[in-house]
Amino acid sequence: MPLQRLLLQTASVSKSVVRSAFTARKPDNANPNWLRVGLAFGSSAALWALLLKQHGEDVAEYNRRSGLE
Amino acid sequence: MGLLPDEAKGLPPPGIVNRNSVWFGIMGWCTAMFQNALNRRPPMKSGVHRQALLISIGWFLGYHLTKYESYTYAKLDRDMQQYISQHPSDFQEKEKPTFSDVLEDFHPIR
Repeated sequence: MPLQRLLLQTASVSKSVVRSAFTARKPDNANPNWLRVGLAFGSSAALWALLLKQHGEDVAEYNRRSGLE
Repeated sequence: MGLLPDEAKGLPPPGIVNRNSVWFGIMGWCTAMFQNALNRRPPMKSGVHRQALLISIGWFLGYHLTKYESYTYAKLDRDMQQYISQHPSDFQEKEKPTFSDVLEDFHPIR
């Protein structure tokens, strides 16, 4: 009988109280999460800045190499 | 360039507007609109920050993919040219006959 208890799923359930860190929230589209909006726009701006900088460097490097060689 | 060797810098870089960037940008935009639709929000009018972010990510990835693509094709072309120049016996141009060689005399039968 105790051996069969090991096969029961309830045998592995923790006896202590566990709480999840997540809370459920109803989606509220009237009040935007301004931090997330700011981060999204900021990351977009950063990506564009990085892209344009990289492009400028690539063009300069290509001109430098093709001009001399 | 993280994945590309130094010689790739000798190739002309792609423009800011290039095929892969436009495509990935459109795909990012469609992803944002799809997520809006799944969450029962107006697809085009809501989550503009999300749309902008995904378009930017797609554009960025497309630019670097175009650079990688042009390097790959340039390498293939160079290797092919080197092989052709090193094995000329395999790539001899056959003598093509001109029309004057093939044309017979015209004997009218009236």
